[in-house]
Amino acid sequence: MPVAEPGPAVVEIRISARPALIPTVRAVASDLAGRADFDLDAISDLRMAVDEACTTLVALAVPDGMLSCKFVLIQDQIEVTVSTSTPAPGAEVRTDSFGWRVLQTLADEVTAAPGVDGVPEALAIRLTKRAGATQ
Amino acid sequence: MTPAPGSPGPADEPRDAEESRDSEYAHLVPLLAEYAELDPADPRREALRDQLVTGYLPVAQHIARRFAHRGEPLDDLVQVATVGLINAVDRFEPTRGSDFFSFAVPTISGEVRRHFRDQGWSMRVPRRLKDLHVSINTAIAELSQSLGRAPRPSELAENLGLPTNEVLEGLAAGQAYRGSSLDEILSGDQSGTTLGDLLGEADAELERVEYQQSLQPLLAELPDRERTIVMLRFFGNLTQTQIADRVGVSQMHVSRLLAQTLIRLRERLESGDE
Repeated sequence: MPVAEPGPAVVEIRISARPALIPTVRAVASDLAGRADFDLDAISDLRMAVDEACTTLVALAVPDGMLSCKFVLIQDQIEVTVSTSTPAPGAEVRTDSFGWRVLQTLADEVTAAPGVDGVPEALAIRLTKRAGATQ
Repeated sequence: MTPAPGSPGPADEPRDAEESRDSEYAHLVPLLAEYAELDPADPRREALRDQLVTGYLPVAQHIARRFAHRGEPLDDLVQVATVGLINAVDRFEPTRGSDFFSFAVPTISGEVRRHFRDQGWSMRVPRRLKDLHVSINTAIAELSQSLGRAPRPSELAENLGLPTNEVLEGLAAGQAYRGSSLDEILSGDQSGTTLGDLLGEADAELERVEYQQSLQPLLAELPDRERTIVMLRFFGNLTQTQIADRVGVSQMHVSRLLAQTLIRLRERLESGDE
């Protein structure tokens, strides 16, 4: 399959920071994981994790803001970076919430760090999902 | 319609059970012949039919149970299997020499398969994809058992003898299949104690988190099955496949229920923030 060629494969989409567009990102995530032959649990976990990350950042972006969703497929894992370069003033990703627990459970690794691609004020959630058989 | 021999699916005929059953059902055989010969207008027909359907009911229940854990409630499956049994009783022709089981089992299984194919679709999906969905769900159940983990699309493709692309298409169509009734959780074969133990551990884990105060009342509002699934996934650290096995529904169904429940919890948590 083309996505399985050596070297990282990148898919990046930018959406208006609106809840109504999240299903599109979710569909891209599960399609990519399916074509990369992730096991069904991993596909579903990634799908929900992307949904959670997008929902979190849509709520933190200014109205009319944009969300960037970048998927990098490297060997048997997908790294996802969801970010908004226009967060609302004072907005931050809370890591003491149920939403964060959900992300931690669904992804193999997840971090929330400000700053992405030279935009220091951006808010980003980065997560990694491996192809299979992890909890 | 009789399914082709060797067609994929859970409709393995209970051949081994058949032998011992022959004696159990021997008293019904002459009734079948009598029923088949009665004129459709004969008043004795109804009582005889009731007697036959009741007598053979364990066969329908047995077949229904073979289709359990695939996303439809057991009660519904038993009902559909019983419709299949009634059809079998009505259509069976003893004079053609075959025995009732070899006619009834495929008839009943066929009825249950049709139910799976037609029920529960939240949007229009071509019949080919519905059939594919049933095959894929069956393959997922089988492979999860033998592999001890969720299968990959390539493994499903190999098991079903289909191109991987087609499996991916079928999996995507599965997203349009809605969950079904709540009492399905009761159809699990697992004993309540196993689930109880697992939930005990998850409860202890929930007590350790800071937002427990705000989450607990929202979890309490959920139907039992949804709450169980959320607890086992996020506080019991079980995979969807493990949860599917414990709770007695399909992995796809666990996936859908989790996604729906997360949305519901998120909405409720947000409205509580204000």
